[in-house]
Amino acid sequence: MSSARTPGDLATQLVTESRRSILTITLLKYNDTLVRSLIREQRDLEKAAAPYTHSATPPPALLIIQTIIAQNKRCLLAYHSQRLDHLITMYWSGGCSLPHVLQSDMRAKMSPHEVDFLKEYHGSVMEFRGEFEMDIDVTSGIESPPRELNVLVRVVRECGEIQTEGGVVDFKMGQRYQVRRTDIEHLIVQGYLEEV
Amino acid sequence: MSGPTVGGPSSSGATRVEDEEEIEETPLEQLTRHWMNERHAPDLLPRQEVLLASLLDHIHRQTNIINTLRSDPRSSEDEHLRIMLVQTEIERVKFMVNSYTRTRLFKIEKYARFIVTDEFMQTRLTAGELNHATRFAAMTDRHFRMSVLQSLPEPQSHLDDEPIFMPSMITQPDKTKPVFVRARRHCPPIRLKDGTALEMSKGHISLLPFDVVEDLILRGDVELV
Repeated sequence: MSSARTPGDLATQLVTESRRSILTITLLKYNDTLVRSLIREQRDLEKAAAPYTHSATPPPALLIIQTIIAQNKRCLLAYHSQRLDHLITMYWSGGCSLPHVLQSDMRAKMSPHEVDFLKEYHGSVMEFRGEFEMDIDVTSGIESPPRELNVLVRVVRECGEIQTEGGVVDFKMGQRYQVRRTDIEHLIVQGYLEEV
Repeated sequence: MSGPTVGGPSSSGATRVEDEEEIEETPLEQLTRHWMNERHAPDLLPRQEVLLASLLDHIHRQTNIINTLRSDPRSSEDEHLRIMLVQTEIERVKFMVNSYTRTRLFKIEKYARFIVTDEFMQTRLTAGELNHATRFAAMTDRHFRMSVLQSLPEPQSHLDDEPIFMPSMITQPDKTKPVFVRARRHCPPIRLKDGTALEMSKGHISLLPFDVVEDLILRGDVELV
């Protein structure tokens, strides 16, 4: 019986990953293997419980199996839920830009369902945003209140010509520009410009 | 004329002035108060639709005026400075409206599954917020089903089972969470959970469970700090 695991161990591993993700504030790669083995464990447990469920005097073993089933299921859901929370936070801090969140290295860490979820979420947020008047953009940053109208920025990534209040500005790599904060805030968030 | 007197403490300093007069607030101060309340409250508070609409309307008009003034070549240097101040102020108000909206959105997503089942909560949301809550609840359900539940054996594949000794799958606001309140005017005595009563005079600050002061917050007698 050396290869046998204690049922419930996998679930602990899974939530440990969630915990690590919370503490380090990083998205870990979606652990497909672990999730699959946990689901397999659930099926085995269900089979193990089957003979008891209809007996008039269920043995104590049934209670243990059912507790593990409930526990495992909760851990599975918690793992997925924590990942969604993380993705949503990332989405907002990236200025609600879908391509920005779905960059190749991030995308590689997500499960296909998570990518679908983000797309759907993006749709919902955009619809919500559309219900406000033009003056208010709910997707703009809420980290710190604006102190000045204009900011001095340096271009750190090529982003081309941008329409601003004072006309079209052609942002050239390495140059500095004095611009209206509201016009280019999303570019700062997405890492094209840097505040000087 | 035995009504309340206005002004600071009397010259003798011995008589305490019972301050019962209505507090006058500018719309901006109201927004600040509701914004702070919303940020500190564990539960979703009623949305201040009228206040927001009037503020946004005001901002809109101000922006128009500014655009006219800015394009007017006769505006002096001094006026340009003032225009800039107004613009900055507008940006700051927008920031507050934004933060207020986002705070609500955060709570709405957190309690989405509760909101779709609870009619009272729904009365506190705008149509747009409710739509988002409904969509959000549906998409998280779908995600759980696709990633986990559909692969589990049938008896386990439901989201809403309530196993014993485990918290419910539907997150509800924790109304017992303690909050700091400041009395904006003299408050009628409130009954605390241990049976004692607390009477707060204006300016009094206390740490109390949210559900004890919820009514006072809704009435505007206290604000969260």
